[in-house]
Amino acid sequence: MKRSVPFEIFRYAAILLALGVTLVPILWMVSMAFKPIGEWSATGTALTWWPKEPTLSNFRFIFGESDSSLIVALDRTAMKPILSSLLSATFGTLIAMAAGTAAAYGLSRFGSGQNLPLALTQLRLFPPMAVMIPVMIMWAFLNLTDTWWGLALVYGIVTLPFAFWLMKTFFDDMPREIEEAGLVEGCSRWRVFTKITLPMMRAPLASAALFVFILNWSDYLIALLLTTREWVTVPVYMASLSSSMTGQLYGAKAALGLIAAIPPVVMGIAIQRHLVRGLTFGALKQ
Amino acid sequence: MSALTASEAAMAKSTPEAAINRHDESARLGFRLTLPAQILVLFIAVFPLLMQLYISLTDWSPLSGLDWWGAWELWNGFANYSDLASDNRFWGALWRTAVVMVVCVPAEFLLGLALATLFADDFPGKRFFYSILLMPMMVVPAVAGYMFFMLFQSGGPLNDILSTLTGTRVAIAWLSDPTLALIAVMIADIWQWTPLMFLILLAGLVGVPQDQIKAATLLGANPWQRFTTIVLPKMKTIIIIALAIRVIENFKIFDTLYIMTGGGPGVATETISVYIYKVTTQDLIWGYVAAIALAILIVLSIATVFAMKRMAAVREVRA
Repeated sequence: MKRSVPFEIFRYAAILLALGVTLVPILWMVSMAFKPIGEWSATGTALTWWPKEPTLSNFRFIFGESDSSLIVALDRTAMKPILSSLLSATFGTLIAMAAGTAAAYGLSRFGSGQNLPLALTQLRLFPPMAVMIPVMIMWAFLNLTDTWWGLALVYGIVTLPFAFWLMKTFFDDMPREIEEAGLVEGCSRWRVFTKITLPMMRAPLASAALFVFILNWSDYLIALLLTTREWVTVPVYMASLSSSMTGQLYGAKAALGLIAAIPPVVMGIAIQRHLVRGLTFGALKQ
Repeated sequence: MSALTASEAAMAKSTPEAAINRHDESARLGFRLTLPAQILVLFIAVFPLLMQLYISLTDWSPLSGLDWWGAWELWNGFANYSDLASDNRFWGALWRTAVVMVVCVPAEFLLGLALATLFADDFPGKRFFYSILLMPMMVVPAVAGYMFFMLFQSGGPLNDILSTLTGTRVAIAWLSDPTLALIAVMIADIWQWTPLMFLILLAGLVGVPQDQIKAATLLGANPWQRFTTIVLPKMKTIIIIALAIRVIENFKIFDTLYIMTGGGPGVATETISVYIYKVTTQDLIWGYVAAIALAILIVLSIATVFAMKRMAAVREVRA
């Protein structure tokens, strides 16, 4: 369909406006991450929109180098929280993907576990806040509080619905003929699943795993409740960063925020095609 | 069931025993494959919910010196639930959650729909703009909260932009004013989640059959008529799904908001999740928290059953 010139002008103007609104908060944080302390706030002089003297001192600071202009040194560096986030999100993803993929295949091919779709959808609907009391009690009892593996277990369960639904729609879409050929050849059902189906589903598995990893990596509330000191994750650590001497550590927090924000954005763009499917539980495909 | 495929049916005719074995094998494997997920659900949903129900009937708190299973010593029947009815802070939090939802979800929907309409056909730069516009929903919510915390500082960039636009010195203390703080957290939510609406609605929009639109154009329908009589009805279920997702997620709103304002000033931005969080970590009256949580879960469960029926119907139509 041919569009008129005024429409095209309107379209680009509207999109540019949306781009501006989208990018200002992001770019402000990027800019803040590279600003020296003197440019953090606008007291006295005008606001610095782009660092006049770009520096990596904020990044060095959160990784433990003391900064003479800040007077303070951190009692903990960002290393451990980054490790905690990586471990808990990765292992949480593994748990969700293993249980979710197996269950999705069982339901898709053999009709087992008919209760799972409803149970898992309800699990997704529940605000984590409303089931955390028993989880906190259980985790304290099992000595899982403030450990990355305890956190990984909760992540694995919280994101299980996404892994399950994504993999179920992928399995439902997959043509059965190849599996049936395997059966005719005399392979057992299990062999067909592990030797034929799973290798064929490598790309969907990877997309689903990235999707689940983004969700785990983005968590704040669960880590806030289940970690206290040793294994706090990046968002919890970032929120706790402040100094009595300088108030908010704007630059340091922005640097950390930038580090936290990059992996999911990169992964999200990589799996753009599957975002709709993942978010709507397979009700809608792109 | 779906387990019996055509080839298996054919085999069943020739060798009944082999087919029966095959069927047993399928059932057994199906059970084993779904077992881990079932255990996880039991472990995090069923058992904790029973525990939550038990604690909600007591005055138990982690400071009471009793283990949780000994909570019956502090049995108080349904007192927690009746307290809930007269807990003004709870109802206030519920009200603010509703206000945020009623403002944010429609705003996200309308903005997302408008953007999706602009992206419905091809134009130079489409994929690039599309990728950038999706970015906010991928930013870690806690980080987004911090971005907006910085933006809304009285010496921050937003006031700077407003100063430039109005030509006067604007120094609004956004996050310390009760009304403005609520508006600020809603702006952050709309910024982050309009892309989700855009993404889903665009996926629905490209699925609208082009020939019907062409036919309507030939019959002399103007763009607005085409939109309201063909596009919107075709997108009805997708719109319902998109709205349902945002309503559910918006109800849980915590990360961004808590980092921006911590629920303050006072209780001005205290939503239901923030309220439960504060009672859990500061007041430590867990018996009462369990009652609040359970009351919310029961209401939400009923809502899910309805939503599930709807989604299942959609899947069937599309299959």
